[in-house]
Amino acid sequence: MQFVNIYLSMILLFAVGLSATPLLRHNLKLANIFAHGIATLGSLAAVLCASFIFVEGPQAFSIPVSLPFLEFSVRVDYLAAYFLAIIGIAGAAASIYAFDYGREYFGRRFMVMAELYLTFLLAMILVVTISHIFAFIVVWEVMSVASFLLVGQEYSRPANTKAAYLYLVMTHVGTAFITIAFLLLWKTSGSMDFAALTGWRGDEWTRNAIFICSLIGFGTKAGVIPVHIWLPKAHPAAPTHVSALMSGVMLKTAIYGMCRFYLEFLGTGPVWWGELILLLAIVSAVLGVLYAMMEHDIKSLLAYSSVENIGIILLGIGAGMVFMSRGLSSFAVLAWSAALFHVLNHAIFKSLLFFGAGAVVNATHTRDIEHHGGLIKAMPYTAIFFLAGAAAISALPPLNGFVSEWLIFQSLLILPEALSGVAGKLSAALLISLLGLTSALAAACFVKAFGVVFLAKPRSVSAAEAHEAPCLMLGSMGFLAIMCLGIGFIAPWLRVMLQSILIPFLSAEAVDNMVGAKWYLLGAQSGSAAGGLSLPLLGAVFVVGLVFAMALYRVCGCKNRLSGETWTCGIVPAARMEYTATGFSGPIRRAFGKILRPRTETVINRNISPYSGRRVIFEVHITHVFDELVYQPLNRYIVKLSRFMKEIQTGSVQLYVGYIMVVTIAVLIWSTRW
Amino acid sequence: MVNVLDVSFLYMVGQAILLAVLAPFIAGLIKKIKARLQNRRGPGIFQVYYDLHKLFLKDSVVSPTVSWIFSVAPFIYFAAALGAAALVPGLTSLMPEIGSRFVDLFMLLYLFVLGRFFLALASLDAGSSFGGMGGAREMFIAVLVEPAILLALLTVAFRTHSSGLTAMAGVGADESSALALIFAAAAFFIVLIAESSRIPVDNPDTHLELTMVHEGMVLEYSGRWLGMIVWATAIKELVLIILFSTFFLPWPIVGWSFSAKVVMLVGKILLCIAAITLVETVTNKMRLFKVPGFLAVAALLGLLAIVAQ
Repeated sequence: MQFVNIYLSMILLFAVGLSATPLLRHNLKLANIFAHGIATLGSLAAVLCASFIFVEGPQAFSIPVSLPFLEFSVRVDYLAAYFLAIIGIAGAAASIYAFDYGREYFGRRFMVMAELYLTFLLAMILVVTISHIFAFIVVWEVMSVASFLLVGQEYSRPANTKAAYLYLVMTHVGTAFITIAFLLLWKTSGSMDFAALTGWRGDEWTRNAIFICSLIGFGTKAGVIPVHIWLPKAHPAAPTHVSALMSGVMLKTAIYGMCRFYLEFLGTGPVWWGELILLLAIVSAVLGVLYAMMEHDIKSLLAYSSVENIGIILLGIGAGMVFMSRGLSSFAVLAWSAALFHVLNHAIFKSLLFFGAGAVVNATHTRDIEHHGGLIKAMPYTAIFFLAGAAAISALPPLNGFVSEWLIFQSLLILPEALSGVAGKLSAALLISLLGLTSALAAACFVKAFGVVFLAKPRSVSAAEAHEAPCLMLGSMGFLAIMCLGIGFIAPWLRVMLQSILIPFLSAEAVDNMVGAKWYLLGAQSGSAAGGLSLPLLGAVFVVGLVFAMALYRVCGCKNRLSGETWTCGIVPAARMEYTATGFSGPIRRAFGKILRPRTETVINRNISPYSGRRVIFEVHITHVFDELVYQPLNRYIVKLSRFMKEIQTGSVQLYVGYIMVVTIAVLIWSTRW
Repeated sequence: MVNVLDVSFLYMVGQAILLAVLAPFIAGLIKKIKARLQNRRGPGIFQVYYDLHKLFLKDSVVSPTVSWIFSVAPFIYFAAALGAAALVPGLTSLMPEIGSRFVDLFMLLYLFVLGRFFLALASLDAGSSFGGMGGAREMFIAVLVEPAILLALLTVAFRTHSSGLTAMAGVGADESSALALIFAAAAFFIVLIAESSRIPVDNPDTHLELTMVHEGMVLEYSGRWLGMIVWATAIKELVLIILFSTFFLPWPIVGWSFSAKVVMLVGKILLCIAAITLVETVTNKMRLFKVPGFLAVAALLGLLAIVAQ
């Protein structure tokens, strides 16, 4: 079977879905099944395409379109296939989730949502497979606009429309920079085809300009601090299956863009490129997780944690670029494959966590975790799946998050090889310790999230009345949870696959002996001194420990278990006495007060009743540094400029005629001078 | 399969069980020395074994609020501590020929994180403020400890260009640069105190709600579960002490006989215990919000060690 056929039938599937769904608008149930069924099949077809590539090798074909500048040329190499597989896996899970979740939106613009969802999915698939500059920008724009409209799905809430417009502005700033980068490439190479850009070598100035533009452009889409501000607002506003795809997959299309530029088009650059990315990465990671820790809105918390994870991915990319510029290609392969590995892992556990959050929000009708609590009893399966995601994102062994973070640690550990001297050692040490800080904060953050949402007593009436999510939602969560566990153990194979992706770009011959392609060992470097990570060994050790503990418990213990209420100094325990999310994050908020600059507001109302004392309302607000230092002044400046423009734009036709006359005269005078 | 479950794996399991058996003795010894330093007679050095025995024979009282997390957490905490005891380069550093290449520093550290993660979840499970407070503070201290412990160990890891524990144990801290060694050792010692919940960061002997951290976290536990947690905490402390003695108390033991090496390691462990008890005796518990400064000192020392290397 030809690759073209599979690929085009996938596109055709989406086209059928897009055109036939509106016909079913009178039967929403059927439309739901049809649209999301098509989405599921389409995602699976994407996985099929990707596996075809991994079996048969890279494929390319081109269909001329009779429009200027436009050509439908598709080239799927290993890199594109990898991202295609990620989109397919997460897309299939999200579509299955949407069978049940979509019913929430019956009567609330469901048809629009289903159509946009299909468009969004198709656009993401096209983004990673299309290999023509102009067509790329078009589908990139389609992806952005479709996701913008999905963010504005629930437009009745003002916060959502605000988030959507912020997203629209930011994403277009990003697209503008991406376009500039592509135009520069086109201008100097004279070709619009990606394949022709591969061997492109421009002068230093152009290369630097392209680097900066693509970094800003794709960085905006990826949510790198300081251009992240849209992300934590837009992701929570969208319907959950879309939030999951936006956080889990759409951000990765930006990473895909970076891979294309820095691996293929630009190739090896000066060291400062990598260093700049490392700097942005560590700032994103630390600040992202700090803000996530402070967040009480469960979906915003997950969105901020995406900023953190993008930071972790960029740590790998930055280290890889540093190694590339020093010619250490086998180290570069290690760092890049760490980054790509984390891309896959983050797509899986972040989708899983968003699905869990969506199920919780559906059951309790609130996103504020201070009103959840005790859900582990009402929603046992959601709880265990969410726990798997939380453990994976906190990099707990032996789940997948630990493996990719370990690889990132390894690539940072050998960073002094590329950056010699004390400065190199010091920066590597700082990066490693800050990554350690990040993952410790992530663990604290997800202890808070899981503990406050699922454990103890329900904190509100709606949480007490919660019910378990429907089975298809649970099914897709369960599938992803199993992947979280499984990917950790197939990591050595995956690592070999990632190498085959990277070797064409990095021309590393000495790579093969670097990884012991043994099933039990994930190697980091060559050489006898270096070790590796053996998850089966870790698993075996842990299981022995567990067996020992069980034996201890069974054999030499007293088996009586009494039930006694939690000790609360003699009063009847109530949900009000539980530790809150605000309380849990309190010490960290205080320790990092210089960065977070919390402002507390305490309102004490003593006039409630002479007997019960007073009612205290306590609120904490976190200052988002970049919002206040960069965006608010910028916003004020733009508003001021618009006011000035308003003075000119009065709307009176006579005045406009006057303007035209003045300009005409000016032009006439200007032209007659030469 | 052979390579994973080979001799070194059996040695690791043996080492884990040995350390598990010894850990309560070390904990008892610390209590005894501390008591003597405070002019008390103190409990016998086997008291912790008696305590564990007592706890294992007692009924458990479990709150009806809790979920399965509460009953799973002690097992995971114990298994993680035992796993760390298997990975730590103790016996294996004495007999390099059996050292597994596949034990990794991050594996060890993240096993601690795993145990702590579940114990902190369990602290929130019962729905009392004490538990939540303990859990929050424990995670807070863990956040501060993580960068410091990494910086201290990096001085060794940078020398081997890898985080393989056996390789790191083979090299040890840089003896040629005494200054770096002293800085890194001081940094790790501070971290050791914080991680094993000792004065001045935490007080293992108190049950006063304003001061307890680790004890507050496990306040709802009783009976066998509490026994497991107490034991696991002792194992974890012993693992940290061994890490400290292996990496930061260097002594040229190359070419020594096996028994001499064992005596040396025991001597180092005793020295470390003496230092811990001395610190516990001469300092007071500091306020919780002084802890960041204390651990920042550790992180700075770690950075200095890397510069001085």
